[in-house]
Amino acid sequence: MNELDTALAIFAQEAEELLADMEDALLSLDQDPDNSETVNSLFRAMHTIKGSSGLFGFEPIVAFTHEAETLLDKVRQGERAIDSNLIAVLLESKDHVAKLIEHCLNANGPALPAELAATGLRLISQLNGGVQTAIQQGTGSADEKIFSEGGGEISVDEHWLISLEFKQDSFRDGIDPLSFLRYLKTLGDIKQILTAANGMPSGEAMDPESCYLHFKIAFQSEATKETIERVFEFAADDCEIKILPPNAKIGEYLALLDAQDETQVRRIGDMLVQVGALTEHDVEHALQAQTASVESQTVDGAKPKPLGEILVEQHVVQQPLIDQALKKQEQTKQKIASEANYIRVDATKLGHLINLVGELVISSAAMNLIVEKHGLSDASDIAAGMNALVNSIRDTALELRMVQIGDTFSRFRRVVHDVSKELNKDIQLLISGGETELDKTVVEKIQDPLTHLIRNALDHGIEHPEQRLAAGKPAQGTVQLNAYHESGHIVIQIADDGAGLNSEKILEKALANGLVKKDHGLSRREIYNLIFAAGLSTKDQATSLSGRGVGMDVVKKNIEALRGSVEIDSEEGQGTTISIRLPLTLAIIDGFMVGTASERYIIPLSMVDECIEMSANECEIDEIQHYINLRGRVLPYLRLGDYFGNTTANANQRESVVVVKFGQTEAGLVVDELHGEHQTVIKPLGKVFERLKGITGATVLGDGTVALILDVQGLIQAAIDHKPKALAHKPALRRV
Amino acid sequence: MSSLIRKETATAVAAQEQVGQYLTFLVGGETFAVSILDVKEIIEIASVTRVPLTPDYIHGVINLRGNVVAVIDLSARLSRSPSQVSKRSCIVLVAMEINETLQLVGMLVDEVREILEIPAANIQPAPDFGADIRTDFIEAMARIDDVFIILLALDRVLSLEELSMLGELTEAEALRSAPAE
Repeated sequence: MNELDTALAIFAQEAEELLADMEDALLSLDQDPDNSETVNSLFRAMHTIKGSSGLFGFEPIVAFTHEAETLLDKVRQGERAIDSNLIAVLLESKDHVAKLIEHCLNANGPALPAELAATGLRLISQLNGGVQTAIQQGTGSADEKIFSEGGGEISVDEHWLISLEFKQDSFRDGIDPLSFLRYLKTLGDIKQILTAANGMPSGEAMDPESCYLHFKIAFQSEATKETIERVFEFAADDCEIKILPPNAKIGEYLALLDAQDETQVRRIGDMLVQVGALTEHDVEHALQAQTASVESQTVDGAKPKPLGEILVEQHVVQQPLIDQALKKQEQTKQKIASEANYIRVDATKLGHLINLVGELVISSAAMNLIVEKHGLSDASDIAAGMNALVNSIRDTALELRMVQIGDTFSRFRRVVHDVSKELNKDIQLLISGGETELDKTVVEKIQDPLTHLIRNALDHGIEHPEQRLAAGKPAQGTVQLNAYHESGHIVIQIADDGAGLNSEKILEKALANGLVKKDHGLSRREIYNLIFAAGLSTKDQATSLSGRGVGMDVVKKNIEALRGSVEIDSEEGQGTTISIRLPLTLAIIDGFMVGTASERYIIPLSMVDECIEMSANECEIDEIQHYINLRGRVLPYLRLGDYFGNTTANANQRESVVVVKFGQTEAGLVVDELHGEHQTVIKPLGKVFERLKGITGATVLGDGTVALILDVQGLIQAAIDHKPKALAHKPALRRV
Repeated sequence: MSSLIRKETATAVAAQEQVGQYLTFLVGGETFAVSILDVKEIIEIASVTRVPLTPDYIHGVINLRGNVVAVIDLSARLSRSPSQVSKRSCIVLVAMEINETLQLVGMLVDEVREILEIPAANIQPAPDFGADIRTDFIEAMARIDDVFIILLALDRVLSLEELSMLGELTEAEALRSAPAE
């Protein structure tokens, strides 16, 4: 926070100095217009302000200074001469930039006040070569007629519809319509041209030096609207240009609109410009028309037409797009309105509160212990009441950090859109369960692994449309993101309907890399999980996105660092599903306390399936084999005391088996005592124990001693890898 | 010439005036010292929780005002037998820096002796060999009344990177001891 503030202060100061220099330079330029060094310094000032504004995301400043910079560059190249008019405009621009900076620094709202925006637009148009004349109103109805005549015959489904209405003076200004058409051809195919000669006067009235022809062009191209518009840039003053995107493009624009972020209310024009349906030129044009109509209509007191309506009337955009943009704008407004109910709180303050609540939970447990120990019946009611309160305070405090995962999911729309375009694939993203909540810190840390997995699904999973059609699947691939709660965990699933994993290929690679040995007898699921091993990629060729065989192991590591797990399931030819299980929070868990001899350990309660008595009658205990019969199922077990090398174990005591379950795996932990549920505030063990397997953290018990929290998954895994002598000849664990 | 001599004596006096304070303690009957500036706190030994699957030199973890702190058995760390906890046993807490954050680590010692003022002139570099502990654990030797005591290099003795190599070290040790059995 502070660093940003400092940086902003530096930025403000730097900008102020640059602008002051700029003013001096401009004033001296008035005296000495040919001094190239002064022009250079002007250019640098604008360029520097643009650069640093970009760093802070001050879009309005960037947009404006960009225009000024472009102009100054032209001056520098000698393409434009400096005159007093230009200097006046530049001085005004400098003042405008100062206002913009002030606005961006002070007001948090990103939207520019109307008059600032209007000044900006006016200045930009002045900078861009002369004063633009107001739109000629008189020709409107005639244009409309031509359009409707022409429009009927041209298919607009797949083609851009470009209408060019050259003014009569075009030839005199050195504009040759044909040269533009020729240049247009370099961008794509001109499918059809309608030439409207309605304006042509007959006989002597016709002036051969005037241009009377209007053109309607059906144009096929992959170019963006902006690129097409740029073709006619030079004719902008002498020609009414309207470019209507093909209907086929509407879908794409709609999707893009949908994916726009909802953090700020923006003007409808800006939204459409961002998705590429409109160019800034279109918007500027429409705004001028709007202002003009306001001026002419103020007398009647009629309301000005909305911008969207004007845009549709001008035939630069289709109705559905405007509707969608309006809907989106409305949504954003609503979202921001609902966000107004929120208070922004510094995360460290929240962290501090949660730590304190953790301490409160511990001391409340200590108090209960004392009350019980001394048999204070008077105090026990109060203690129970307080305990309940502490529990709800704990839950509420933890909820403060809970956020919905939906926002994180939505960000991937953009990833999917961009990546599928890059890969020439047609992929849709389906999102469900966005309202599922989890801890903010977990959300932040899961972002990178998720991005990686989604990119993988897009790149490796989904095939190219031709391959998909050949395999009898719809050409459009689907990636599904789903989240739901399951017994104290959140499960995030990434499913694609792509090619699936080829288990033979994976095994082959793993054998080649020496990850596994032959005749290991791996199950299909185990083979799939090999892709999380380092250095394994089944892709023969690495792309810029993925395929280098690094990443999946990092994904797994990151998820395990959050005490989560990841599982993969796949059906060759049908698709792949990756499930990530994560704890809801990192601070406090419900634990289950067990004891072996004098030592106490905590097992996360969410992993405990059941507890059974270890008695020779009920379960067939096999001292050598280390597995028991649990209602007809084989349950491998681990004697916690022995495994932890606790030599003081009491042999006579009745033992219990805690059946733990994670994902699809079940195992038993044999302990001496069951202490029951325990609210566990997780304390990190610190750097020294960072590599310790089987123990994930510690907690402070009511009596002030430290108990260790078991990492069940790591423990079982370590037991498998370690294979103590008694277990060596038997698999320590079996999938159920 | 004479001014040069005077300067030399002046530096010698300055060196003698530079006196550092050191905390001395007993480990396995031998006296060691560390700079007092490294010591955060000395606490009585309270209930220590054993951490399973760790080498001998990890004594366990304690609750220090709500935080969990690792305790290193200094005797075992210096390749002696694990220390026997007695009434006089103490935990000396030092702060180790790792990745620019401070982390408290406890050292289990048999007995804390006293704080000594040792002039810099009495401190000599460690011998290349001859000591029975790893030479890189020795920061320097300090002479007190004709007896040398070892000043420990805490950043190596309690190197968090090295201490955290738990699994690898135990396995390596197991391998080393196996042929001897």
